[in-house]
Amino acid sequence: MSRRLPLVPENTEPLPSLKENQGMLAWVSSVDHKQIGLMYLMVTMVFFVVGGLEALLMRIQLSQPEFNFISPEVYNQLFTMHGTTMIFFVVMPFLIGVGVYLVPLMIGARDMAFPRLNALSFWLVVFGGILIYYSFLTQSGAPDMGWFAYSPLSEKPFSLNKGPTYWALGLLATGISSVASGLNNIVTILTMRTPGMTMRRIPLFVWMILVTSFLLIFVIPIIASAFAMMLLDRLLEATFFTPAHGGSAILWQHFFWGFGHPEVYILILPAFGIISEVIPVFSRKPIFGYEFVAGSTVAIGLLSLGVWAHHMFAVGLGDVTNLYFSLASMLIAIPTGVKVLNWVATMWGGKIIFATPMLFATAFIIEFVMGGITGVAIASVPIDWVVTDSYFIVAHFHYVLYGGSMFAIFAGVYYWFPKFTGRMMSETLGKWHFWLTIIGFNMTFFVQHFLGVMGMPRRIYTYQDFPYWGSMNLISTIGAVVLALSVLVFMWNVHVSRKRGKKAGNNPWDAWTLEWAAASPPAVHNFDLVPPVRGRRPLWDLAHPEQPDEPNAKVVD
Amino acid sequence: MADNKMLIKFFVASESIFFIMLILAYVNFKGTVVDGPTAESSLNPYVTGIFSLFLLASSFTIWLAGKSLRAKNHTMMKVWLLVTIVLGAIFIFGQGREWAGLIEQNITISRNVFGTTFFTLTGFHGFHVCVGLIMLSILLGLALFGDFKGPRSDGVEVISIYWHFVDGVWIVVYSVIYVWAFFL
Amino acid sequence: MEILQLFNAGWSFEPWALVFASVLVGAYLLGVGTRLNRHSVLYMSGVLVMLFALVSPLDYLGRHYLFSAHMIQHILLLLIVPLLLLFGIPKSTAEKLLKIEPIGKMMRVLSYPPVAWFLGVGAMWVWHMPSIHDMALNNNSLYITQLVSFVLIGMIFWWPVFTPIENRRLNPLTGTLYLASACLGCTILGMLITFAGAGLYTAYINPVDSAGLLALIRNDLCITPGVDQQIGGLTMWVPGCLIYLSASMITLAQWYGAPDEGVSAARQEAA
Ligand code: HEM
Ligand SMILES: [Cu+2]
Repeated sequence: MSRRLPLVPENTEPLPSLKENQGMLAWVSSVDHKQIGLMYLMVTMVFFVVGGLEALLMRIQLSQPEFNFISPEVYNQLFTMHGTTMIFFVVMPFLIGVGVYLVPLMIGARDMAFPRLNALSFWLVVFGGILIYYSFLTQSGAPDMGWFAYSPLSEKPFSLNKGPTYWALGLLATGISSVASGLNNIVTILTMRTPGMTMRRIPLFVWMILVTSFLLIFVIPIIASAFAMMLLDRLLEATFFTPAHGGSAILWQHFFWGFGHPEVYILILPAFGIISEVIPVFSRKPIFGYEFVAGSTVAIGLLSLGVWAHHMFAVGLGDVTNLYFSLASMLIAIPTGVKVLNWVATMWGGKIIFATPMLFATAFIIEFVMGGITGVAIASVPIDWVVTDSYFIVAHFHYVLYGGSMFAIFAGVYYWFPKFTGRMMSETLGKWHFWLTIIGFNMTFFVQHFLGVMGMPRRIYTYQDFPYWGSMNLISTIGAVVLALSVLVFMWNVHVSRKRGKKAGNNPWDAWTLEWAAASPPAVHNFDLVPPVRGRRPLWDLAHPEQPDEPNAKVVD
Repeated sequence: MADNKMLIKFFVASESIFFIMLILAYVNFKGTVVDGPTAESSLNPYVTGIFSLFLLASSFTIWLAGKSLRAKNHTMMKVWLLVTIVLGAIFIFGQGREWAGLIEQNITISRNVFGTTFFTLTGFHGFHVCVGLIMLSILLGLALFGDFKGPRSDGVEVISIYWHFVDGVWIVVYSVIYVWAFFL
Repeated sequence: MEILQLFNAGWSFEPWALVFASVLVGAYLLGVGTRLNRHSVLYMSGVLVMLFALVSPLDYLGRHYLFSAHMIQHILLLLIVPLLLLFGIPKSTAEKLLKIEPIGKMMRVLSYPPVAWFLGVGAMWVWHMPSIHDMALNNNSLYITQLVSFVLIGMIFWWPVFTPIENRRLNPLTGTLYLASACLGCTILGMLITFAGAGLYTAYINPVDSAGLLALIRNDLCITPGVDQQIGGLTMWVPGCLIYLSASMITLAQWYGAPDEGVSAARQEAA
C-alpha cells in the first residue's frame, strides 16, 4: 500500500514533431486531439481579428455625431456579423478547442473517445464560418438583421438578399459541430478516466466542460430546429414566422432565447473552469470548496434553461409571466455568486503570484462581477423596460463576455501556452497586454452604461449631437483603439514566444493537474506513464508523498 | 467498449429535443388555422395508422435480429434485418403516398400553418427513417459479406437503438397529429 | 382584511381526507413505532402538509374558483408531500415492507426508473388535459382519486432517487438526468398552459359563485381567468422545476459526501 511512488520520468528523447514531415497535410488529416485543439485556437484567432476589425469600423462610425464613415446598410451588416462571429466563431470554438486539447490530458487519457468525430466537429466549424462569410461576396451582402435574427426582419419579405440564408445554413453546420463535440466530451469524460480519477477528483475545468457539453447537446437542437424552420420559410415559403400568413414572430423569439440564454452559460462555464484552474495554482492553495464550484455549475446549467423570457420583457407576455421570469433570473445569480466567493476564498491568505495568467484571472473576477450586477439589475422588469435595447445592454453583455469569457481565454492561453508549445510567453509583453486590455476595455464599455441610461439605442448607425453623447462615444472609440492595440501586443507575444520564448519544461508553474505530467508539448501518445491518481492534485501527491491531499485514499492501480 | 452505445444514447436524447421543438411548433399552431386545410379536413388516420403498424413491427424485427446475433444465428439475423428494411420501406412508401395525395389537392408546405408544420414534422421524421434505412442496408450488406459473427456487435446494437428511437418519435408524432385530431 | 375572507372561506374537513391522513399516520405508528426522531418528524410534517393541501381554502379555491390554487395544491401533493413521507420511512421499515411478497413484487416493477418516471410525468400531463380536469371537477370520486393518486404516484416517482434503502438509489448522475428530464416534461406542460390562450379549463371561466368571492378575486385582486391560468402554468413551470432542481442538488451533495469506492468502479475496470 505504501510503496514508493514512481516519479514521472523526464523526457529524454526528442519529441516527435506534431507536423512530422508532411507539412499541411498532417494537420488537415489529423485526428489527434492536441493538433485539433491547436487548430481550433488558430482558427478562432483569425475570426477574433476579423470580428475585432468589424467592431473597430463600427466604433469609428460612432466616434462623432452624424458621422459619415460607413453607410447604414453596411453598419447593419457589421453588427450582425460581429455578434455572430464573436459568439459562434470565437468564444464558443475557442473554449471547445481548449477543452479538446486539455480534457484527455487532464483525465489521463490517450485521446478523445471518438477522434474522427472530433475532427469532423472542427472542420464543420471552419465550414460554417466560411459559409457565413461567403455571404459578403454575394450581390446584396451579408445578413443585416442582428445576431438574434428577429422575425419578420429575417424573413423573405424584409430580407430579400441571401445573407440570412447563408447565416442560418452556416450556423446550422456549426450547431451540428457543437452537438458532436458535446457528445464526444461527455463520453470521453464519463468513460476514459485513468484509474483513480473519480468524478470527484477530475479537475474543475473538466467538470465545467462536462456541464457545458450537456448544455450543448440539449440546447443546440432548439436553435437547430429554429434554423431549419427559418430556412424552410426562406427557401420553400413555409409560414412559421411570418405573421402575415398565420405564422408567429414571437415563436421565433421563444425559440431563439430558449437557446440563447443557456448559450450565454455555454460561453461562460468553461471560462469559469479556466479561472478555477488558474487561481489555485497562483495562490498556492487548493481550490476552496471544490464541491460547491462543481455543484453550483450543475445548478446554473439546469436553471439557465428556464429563464429565457428575461430577453422578452418588452414583448408583452403579461405581468405575471414577467414576474416569474424576473425572479428565476435573479436566482441564477446565487450559484454564480457562490463561485465568486470560492475564488476569492481561495486567494484569501494564499501566496499569490501575479504572473500574467493570474492577472487576467483576478481581473476576470472584478469585471465579471460588474457584468453580473448589471445583469441582476436588468433582470428586474421595470429597470429593463427603461434600458432594453439601449447601450446599457451592450455594456452588460460586453462585461460578461469580454470581461468574463475573453479575459478567461487570455488567462488560459498564458497559462497553458507552455504546455501547447514547450515555451513560456513573455511576461513583459504579457503585462503590457494586460494593462492595455484593462484600460481599453473599461474605457470602451464603462461609458456605455451611461449612454444607455441617457437613452442611446443600440444598433443605430449614427446619432444626433445630444449633450455628452459625442464625447462619451469618442471616449468609447478611443478605448476600442487601445483594445485593438492590446490584441496586437498579444498576437506579437504569441508569435515571438512560440519560437524564442524561454524553454518551459514539463511543469513551469508547479501546477498539480495531470496535463503538467506530460511533456511540453505532449508526445503524440500523451503519457508514457500516467502518474497514480489518489486525490485531486496528483502532482502534489507525487511531490509530497508525506502530505497527500486525501490521506485515506485507497490506491487503485 | 460501451462507448458507442453511450454515444448513441446521448445522441438520441439530443435528437429528441429537436423533435420536441418541431412538435411544439405544430401544437402552437394547432387550432389557429383560419382558412385552408387542417389535420381534420385533409388527413386519413386509418390509412396512415396501418402504415404506422409496419414501422412499429420493424422495431420488433430489429430486436429479433439482435437476438439472433446474440444466439450466433447468422442466417436469421440477416433475414430479420432484411424484414426490418422492407417494413421501414413500406412505411416510407405510405408516407410518400400520403404526401403525394396532399400535394395533388394543393396542400403544400407554403399553403398555411397546418401545411407548414405538418410537412416539416413528418418530413424530418421521414428523413430520419430514410437515414435509418440506409444504415440498415449497410449493415445488411456487411452481414452478407460475412461481418458480425456475434454474439455482440456495437454496429447492430447502436443502429437498433437509433431505430427504436425513430419508432418512438413516430408514436408521439402520430398521437399529436392524428389521434388528437380524430380520436380525442 | 378582505383577503382574509379568502382564508376563512372553505375550510372543508371532508371525511375522506381525514381518513386518508389517519391511515397514513396509523400505518406509520404500527409499522415504525411512536418514537420521536428525525424520521417521524419528517413523516408527520408530510402528513400535515398533505392535510393542509386537502382541507385548507387551497382546496376549496382550487375546486371552485382558481386554477392557480389547484396548481399549488397539486405541486404540494405530487412533489412535496411524497418526498417528506419518503424521507420519513426508516431504512429497516422499508426493507421489511419490501419483503412482503406482493408489495415487493409490485415495487420492483413500479420503481423501475423508466416506469416511475413515466408515472410521475404522466400523472402531471394526464390530470391536466383540459377535458379530464374539467371532468374531475364535476365528479366527486374522480376528484378524490386525482388527489390521492398525486400522493401515491409522487411516492413512486421519488422512489428511485430517494428510496430509504440507500444502496438501491440511482447513481447520482443518472439521478440528475432522471430529475432534469422530468423537469423538462413539466416545463413543457407549464409552458403550454401559460402561453395557451385564456380559458383552457372551462370551469374557471365563469365559476358558480357559491361563496361570494368572485368579486373579490376578479375586481380587487385583478385575477382574470387569463391571469389565473398564467399563474397556474408558471407555478408548475418555475417553482415546480425548482423542486426537481433542488432535489438533484441533494443527490449530488450526498454523492460528494459518500465514501470514495464504488463511485465509478465499474467504469475504471472498463478503462
Ligand atoms: C448574473 C446573471 C445574469 C443575468 C441576471 C442576466 C440578465 C440579462 C438580461 C435581463 C438581459 C436582457 C436585456 C434586454 O435585452 O433588455 C441580458 C442580456 C444579455 N446577456 Fe445577460 N445576464 C446575466 C449573465 C450573463 C452572462 C454570464 C452572459 C454571457 C457570458 C450574458 C450575456 C448576455 C448577452 C449576450 C445579452 C444580450 C443579448 C442581446 O440582446 O443581444 N449575461 N442579460
Ligand atoms: Cu439571458
